[in-house]
Formats: sequence, structure tokens, C-alpha cells
Amino acid sequence: MKKILVAENLSYKINDTKLFQNLSFSLNEGAAIHILGSNGSGKTSLLKIISGLTKQTKGKIEKNYNKDICFIGHKNALKQYLTVEDNLSLLEIEAHGNLKSFLQLLGLEKLLDVMVANLSYGQQKKLALLRLFLNDSDLLVLDEPCVGLDKKSQDILCTFLSDQLIAKKALIFSSHISLDISAEVLQLDKA
Amino acid sequence: MKLLKFELLKLRKKSRGWLGPILVFVLIMTAFPLTVEILNKDIDQSFFSVLWIATLLVMMLATEDIFLEDFNDGTLEQMAIKHNSLSGVITIKIFVYWLLIGLPISLLGALYGFGITSSADLAIQLIPILMITTYIFLNVFSFGNALSLTKGSILGILITMPLVLPLLVVLGKVVIAINLGMNFLGFLFLLLGILSIIILVLPIIISFVIKAHLE
Repeated sequence: MKKILVAENLSYKINDTKLFQNLSFSLNEGAAIHILGSNGSGKTSLLKIISGLTKQTKGKIEKNYNKDICFIGHKNALKQYLTVEDNLSLLEIEAHGNLKSFLQLLGLEKLLDVMVANLSYGQQKKLALLRLFLNDSDLLVLDEPCVGLDKKSQDILCTFLSDQLIAKKALIFSSHISLDISAEVLQLDKA
Repeated sequence: MKLLKFELLKLRKKSRGWLGPILVFVLIMTAFPLTVEILNKDIDQSFFSVLWIATLLVMMLATEDIFLEDFNDGTLEQMAIKHNSLSGVITIKIFVYWLLIGLPISLLGALYGFGITSSADLAIQLIPILMITTYIFLNVFSFGNALSLTKGSILGILITMPLVLPLLVVLGKVVIAINLGMNFLGFLFLLLGILSIIILVLPIIISFVIKAHLE
């Protein structure tokens, strides 16, 4: 089984506050890791380190994948003053073959001409998640992907992620909402 | 090319971002002759001072949220992950700002120059000077805004202001050269030289600053 990610003795601190120390884990293709921890335990920081946005204080991280990471963070990366259609174009997914079916599945197909500022938070989150649904990455990094989603959308997300694991993609995510996905738990408070 | 298209779409649709600075420039340049004696023979002397200062202020205004919006909504995060060269993204972003704001202001500035001095030659000479100057100002103020991304734009302006002061001195010399009918091409090449260095160096520095903010 190919190892997509290997982290050895990762430590991270902000100013003098140590968030986690000597954290080691590995992620195989087709496997998932669910990061758990209280607020401020370093879940987002760890996901940012994996994505390459932040540098760890100590330790090393080996990445073994070919395509870009798909990172969905707290921020939606949507332009409020543009329509849904324009935002799809900015996300570079406007010509994707599966776009129409996902738009229908998420109930966004009739909102293409609507300004993002006029969408509800949940609808904006679904629009941002289209980047995940139409991605081609080997590694999916998700930070609280269920926030703002209704039960139906959460189920769609779970089904999609399970399918991605079957397709040998690797997943690492943090979520306070329980997701019905087979994943190894990484508890940060005890790290 | 895709990135250029996206940045153009973003700025074009945000009319406040590009039309606002142009309107402020028009307002200053139109108000200037109204506030002085119109028959004053020295009006064309002070015109240049007003032109450079208006250009400086408008470029400062134009870059106020050049990175802030992308930083706040997470676009910069995605760009930093997706694009290996964040400095390339920044170069394109500044170029788009120049295309939609710097270039129209350069043409308008030349038009006002013609209106005040009635000299077509001077207006033509002003175009390349303004085109280069606006591009330099955009780069320098973008650097300032990147530095103070999370701390408000005033701090960035204060930091970068000393960098643009020597440029204003050069622009003053250009005006003297034009007024005395001297060859101003030397100054033009000097400005081009400054621009070449700035285009190569500043986007790289800005990308490091932005990465530090993203951490």
C-alpha cells in the first residue's frame, strides 16, 4: 500500500504556546485520518502544515503524491460580488463533466445567475465544496467541511468521501460533526 | 493566461475597485484649474506637480485592498497551495491593476496635459512617463499593502512612502527637461530601469510577505 503522507515527530508552537509535540502518523492511499481535539489544540495548524501553508516548528513530513492537494479550509474562497457562474469559472470547474450533476444534487442548479452575497451560508459552503467534489487530487485535506451543511448535504459529502477512499485517494480531515466514514482517529489533545 | 483572465474578471466586476480611483483622478485634475486663475501663465508649471501627486494618491488608493480581499476570503490560501510561483500570481495581479487603472490614468493624464498646455508633443511625451510611473507606484504600494495586510493600509503607506520620494524627484527633473525643450529620453530610460528592477524583485518579496501572513 502506497504511503501518501508520513509525518515524523511533528511539533508546532505559536509564540510560546506549544500546540502539539512529537506527532507521528502516516496516511496510506485509500485511507482516512480524522483529527480530533478541543478548540485551539492545533487541528487547523496541522492541516495547514500538511497543505504547505504553514511550516512546522520541528519534525519532518514526507509527501508522496503527484497532483495538487485539495484543501478546503474555513474560508470559502468565493467572491461575494460575483455570480455563482462566475465563481465556478474562478474555481476552474465550469467545464467539468460532472458539474451539472453535482449542481443538481446540491440544489444549486437554479442559482447560477445569483450573486454569492445573496446566498445563505449553507449554499455558499456547498458552492465551495464543489471544488472538492470536482477535484482530481490524490490527497484531500478538509477543515470542518460539515459546518453550515444540512443533513442531506452532509450525507452527500460522506458518500462522496467514501467513494474517494475506494478510488484510492487519501483523506485527512477535522470535524466536530460525526461523519460516517471509516477513519483512523488522531487525537491532538493527547499528542 | 487563465490567471490573467480570472484577475481581469475579478477587477472588472468590482467597479468600485477600478472606477473609483479613476474618478478620483478625474476629480482632482478637473478641480485643479478651477481653483487657480485660469489665465495665469504659470498654470502649466504647477499642473505637473498636481499631476504627479494625483497619480501618486490615486495609485495608493487603487492598491488599498489589492491583497486584502483575497486574503480574507481564502483565495490567497488556495493560490499559495495551487500555484508553485506565488510571485507570478502577484505579477499578474499588479499587471491587471495597471491595465484597468494605471493605463487609463496615463491616457487621461496626457489628455489633461494637452488641455492645460495645448501642446500635443507634451501630451505624447507624458504618456510613456505616466505609464511607467503608474506601474512603479502600483508595485511599491502593493508591497506596502502586503506588509500591512492584517494591520490596515496606513502602516503600509507610511513604510513605502520613502521609496517613492526619489521617484518624485526624478519626475520633477523630467518636467524641467520637457519645459526647457531638453532631451528627456535619459530620464525615461532611468524610469524604465527602475521599473525593470522593481518588476523582477518586488513580486518575489511580496510573495514571501504574503506567505508569512498566511502562516
